Amino acid sequence: MTITEASQVGDEVKGESPSTISGATGSQRVAVRLRKPYETDVEQRFRLTDPSKGLELSKNKHVRRVLKNRKFQFFLILPNQIVFWGVIFLGILGTVNPDLNFATAITWFLWFALVFVMMVVVGRAWCVMCPFGGFAEWIQRKSFWNRTQKALGLGRKFPESIAKYGLITSVGTFLLLTWLEEFFNIAGPGNPEATSIMVIGIVISAVTFFMVFERRTFCRYVCPLSALIGSVGAAGTAAGFRTKDRDKCLNCKTKECMRGGDEGFGCPWYTWPGSADSNLTCGLCSECYKACPSDNVGFFIQKPLTSMIAPLRRRADVAWSVLLLWGLVVFQQFNAVSLYGTIDNWLNTKMHFPQYPNPVDYIGIIFLVTLIMAGIAWVGSKAMKKDAVQLDLSGSPVNFAGAKASSKTIKHSFVDKKSQFRSFMLPLSYGLIPVVGADYFARQLPKFFLNVLKLVPDVGAWFGIGGGTNAKLFNAEILSGNQIVAVQVGVIIVGMLASLYAMRKIIKRDIVPFATSPFATKLVAYGTVLACGVGASWLYVMMHAAT
Amino acid sequence: MTLISEKTKSSEGDQMEKMDIHIFSDRCAGCQECVVRCPTNALKMDSLSWTVVAEDELCVGCRQCERTCPFTAIKINGPVMVDVRIKQEHFKPMSIDHNADELRLPIKSFEDAKKEAMRCLDCPDPTCLRGCPAHNDIPSFIRAVREGNLQEAHSVLSRTSVLPDVCSRVCDQATQCEGSCSWSLAGKQPVAIGLLERFITENADFLPLEKGNKATGLEVAIIGSGPAGIAAATELVKQGAKVTVFEKDSTPGGLITWGIPDFTLPHEVAKRPWDRLINEGVNLKVNTEIKEAEVNDLLGNYDALIIACGASQPIKLPVEGGDLKGVVDATTFLKNGQEAINNGSSISEIEVLGLKGVSSPHILVLGAGNTAMDVARTARRLGASVRAIDWMDQKFAPVRPDELAEAKSEGVEITFSSTLVSLTGNNGRVSTAKIAKTTQTSAKELPKVQSGSTSDEKVDLVVMAMGYRVDPDIQKALNGAPIRKKPAEKVDRRWIASGIFANPAPEFARGQNVGVISLSREIANQLSMIPRRPRMWVVGDALIGPATVVEAMAHGRDAARAIITHKPSKSGGSEVGLYATKTAKVLIAVESRGGTTLKIGEAIQKRISSSDVEVRVQKLNTITMEDIAWADHLILGTWVEGFVVAKVGLPKFTKAWLKTLPPLGGLPTSIYVTYSFNPKDVLGNLAKELEGKGAKIQSKEAFKTTLGGTVDLSGIDNFASSITGQKKGAAKVTTR
Repeated sequence: MTITEASQVGDEVKGESPSTISGATGSQRVAVRLRKPYETDVEQRFRLTDPSKGLELSKNKHVRRVLKNRKFQFFLILPNQIVFWGVIFLGILGTVNPDLNFATAITWFLWFALVFVMMVVVGRAWCVMCPFGGFAEWIQRKSFWNRTQKALGLGRKFPESIAKYGLITSVGTFLLLTWLEEFFNIAGPGNPEATSIMVIGIVISAVTFFMVFERRTFCRYVCPLSALIGSVGAAGTAAGFRTKDRDKCLNCKTKECMRGGDEGFGCPWYTWPGSADSNLTCGLCSECYKACPSDNVGFFIQKPLTSMIAPLRRRADVAWSVLLLWGLVVFQQFNAVSLYGTIDNWLNTKMHFPQYPNPVDYIGIIFLVTLIMAGIAWVGSKAMKKDAVQLDLSGSPVNFAGAKASSKTIKHSFVDKKSQFRSFMLPLSYGLIPVVGADYFARQLPKFFLNVLKLVPDVGAWFGIGGGTNAKLFNAEILSGNQIVAVQVGVIIVGMLASLYAMRKIIKRDIVPFATSPFATKLVAYGTVLACGVGASWLYVMMHAAT
Repeated sequence: MTLISEKTKSSEGDQMEKMDIHIFSDRCAGCQECVVRCPTNALKMDSLSWTVVAEDELCVGCRQCERTCPFTAIKINGPVMVDVRIKQEHFKPMSIDHNADELRLPIKSFEDAKKEAMRCLDCPDPTCLRGCPAHNDIPSFIRAVREGNLQEAHSVLSRTSVLPDVCSRVCDQATQCEGSCSWSLAGKQPVAIGLLERFITENADFLPLEKGNKATGLEVAIIGSGPAGIAAATELVKQGAKVTVFEKDSTPGGLITWGIPDFTLPHEVAKRPWDRLINEGVNLKVNTEIKEAEVNDLLGNYDALIIACGASQPIKLPVEGGDLKGVVDATTFLKNGQEAINNGSSISEIEVLGLKGVSSPHILVLGAGNTAMDVARTARRLGASVRAIDWMDQKFAPVRPDELAEAKSEGVEITFSSTLVSLTGNNGRVSTAKIAKTTQTSAKELPKVQSGSTSDEKVDLVVMAMGYRVDPDIQKALNGAPIRKKPAEKVDRRWIASGIFANPAPEFARGQNVGVISLSREIANQLSMIPRRPRMWVVGDALIGPATVVEAMAHGRDAARAIITHKPSKSGGSEVGLYATKTAKVLIAVESRGGTTLKIGEAIQKRISSSDVEVRVQKLNTITMEDIAWADHLILGTWVEGFVVAKVGLPKFTKAWLKTLPPLGGLPTSIYVTYSFNPKDVLGNLAKELEGKGAKIQSKEAFKTTLGGTVDLSGIDNFASSITGQKKGAAKVTTR
């Protein structure tokens, strides 16, 4: 039972008598005179990013019932929770043979590949079922599924000095984790105990962050996979939870989707369905859907690539994340080439560093690749207009980073500030997402194709059946090495084609209308996509040759 | 719309700091919660990034935006730019001996009032207004003062308050409107709302009652003539009702007449409301105490009854010697003490106190709250030496520091963490008080007596002023009242959105959580709209135990407005239900999961809606107490939980909602459920639960749904017609 008030909206009522409502007391109880929300450009602002009404899956009665159910996310998390606690225990207690140990087999042969499929096809699908954030969130909420009103922990805000860089922190933790994984040889050929310790480390980190900071600060800013899933997930078909009627959202006076309502928590990801223009920060948890008292939130799907092509707001943290992630995947390919071994050994000797990978060449190569990409963007930006690009929301052409900053707030925002360099670099980076995503996916394929069948005898071994290392499936491969390289190159080509398609759309709207030399910008943009695709393919061939 | 003339330094001298509104654009979702609430329009939208952008030069640092941002995406770095608050001036008499002059002085001039009014931000979502139990439209009346229109200001006040002259003097604004002011929540001195309210009532012309005829023909009895009774009588009489008020004392006004001394609330102010009510034709019957046994008679003779008898029975400390002569209660002392001050007679001449021959008695007052301070200060005016003791630690005691300071300046000795252990006397009259020290470590814990810490004190008189309770006789008629005010289990989202909970314990509010206490008051206030029994409303202290004048007034006002809305009638006798006239306002409260139960509710709405019958369909989580109070017929529809025939019952949310339902006071109620296989005894159990809440169950129906989503609606016409008593030709409705 809540209490009543009536309110008026808009400046025009200031100073007027409060209106009455037909309540029991015949008059309003609390005279609220909220300003009218800004709605001038709202339709144009979201015209390109709002999913079509017909793509609302929650219109379906059964989908609606599932999403309304408070146990929805619990049952998605639960199987993964069981699997990863299995990883923790079996990694420590099980066999040291990484091919036979369930911990290494499930984590590196199957899970990582599946995560990439999910992010490319859906978006943040892994986030909704993630057992790490999920486990920590159960503790924070003191409940597996119930809507509780008081959270456990300190509920602090993540320091703004870090959080203002958005996804960049997540890229940092991904680089750190990847280096640790390479250094300790956790993933390939694999180390069950180290895999287990790594998972424990992630769980402890998650729980610590959930206990210190509010909501899913860990997932949004710190999780090593957040930047990767967030940026590559822009290719995904899940638009996420969005408003059905934006006017209703703008005039909502309570914002239960953000603050939490009777039936749902406030968005753990700091996302408002009323303004979401991509699937970047929608964790698909459905809390806003449950919390909205007006049933004004729906679950929408979208055409693939929409969240990278359509958004008017191009975020610098996403753009830099894409370039840094590209640097990392290039490093991971390059490290299989003999030239890298020479460089790494030389550096280790000079620095008295024990083993691969030397942190200097690790970071150096990643940053070098990132800087080369940024340099290409800088060259491209020279063909862009120097003057601030006038924003015209009513028409199609828009260049977010080239538009004049509307205030010092924008000027000082890492995510949103404007410059000639950014006017080209941001759209370029968004266009590169498919080829970067494809490269990450292609890199997981050898482990999958060569080893995934081992999972069957691995599980059978628990029950003393299946033959263990002598089993046929243990020694079976889905594809041979040559075939895998072909598939990898094929994946890269698909990613490259998707990038070219996305880049064409992005160039048309975000670059060409604002370029002094459209040809030059096109040349740089398409050339970069092709170079990345060809380079990645060549590296796969070289990797195979090296092994 | 700027509201402060210039940005000048605050009392803490932080003028030179630069104002910097920092929007955390990564996290700002462009929801505009800050934009629509910023008092100075310093926040705008950047349409491309769809985030908020700020204009520092317009910001005054009130931090309303910080308090209202759902994602903590905004931070104000800089000073709180507000002028110094006007000071409360005090009258300092040469001697307090027999001095009844009002001590707290009003604002001296219109210029000063305007200057103070300029401090008000005119917040779009004013938290002060939520802090005020009566929800006076504070920004509007302050705006009128600023614009120099006192009549308009008075008119704004009169919409919600019938006692602005009283409330402005006796309210503890620090924990109400002023404590909830934006400036207070930002850690600074709030607008002097109480002083401005008083300025308006003292300087604007007397406003005649705005007459209407919505209650013509209604005959209403009110028990008690205190603030709740005054507010109820005023609302009713101005709408043409015939009102009879029963007062057990010889003079009307209750607590505001006898309980608050003249130096706080002058007699001419306290009696003003009743002078007006008598002129308006209210039938006042003084010296008429209504006992529990007579309540049914009143219900038989009047269309509605409001019990506003207050909590007038003094609480006595059960100590040895408590029945000695020379031990009196606060009411006795205050009534006779005030009279002695007015007459110029000495304390020894007050017969009931038995101090004959004692020229300068020493009085021990038990308690340090409002009443105890009034007693102590009255005693000082009669020449007594006074010590007040309170068993609580001062940190946790619900006392007003301004009152304590005033009392101390008048020579009252106040000791906390002390309690009376026993009294001994000579010849049957009290002479010595044994006092022990206490310890208390938290507000939730009761103080404990320290062993071996007792001391004796010679006393001539002991006044027990620890508080009051509702008379146990009349309490039998109150159907469970008084209830205890408590924080809401689920905090109202609109109150959260206003930011009143964000900085909950401002220094100005003495570190009290203004949001929680305001909302607790509000929940109790809304209960006053709902009858405790058919045609019987309970308001004020009788409803919630000893509270404040303004809460009592708000209760009386709201109960009267509910009566005017529903126009109950005695014609059917006292036990036929609240609404003897035909059903006119139907509330269909629905808990629907897949939408079927809601659609049935809408189908019922179609059948019973007419020009005479207004029907609302609402989901359970949107239903307010005011909605319940609005309805003269409640229909509750819910789906049935369970797996085939196992664990069949009400869904969790419906059960939780039923628990929050207030007593329904005989509200006619119908129920329906939707089920797939077998509803078992859900309908019967639901009916029992509602009857337990005081509902009168009129109709019940169970609608069977199929897996395909179709519903058997064969019983819907009978169900609908039983509610209004009219058969309507209804189209076949199928839901899917």
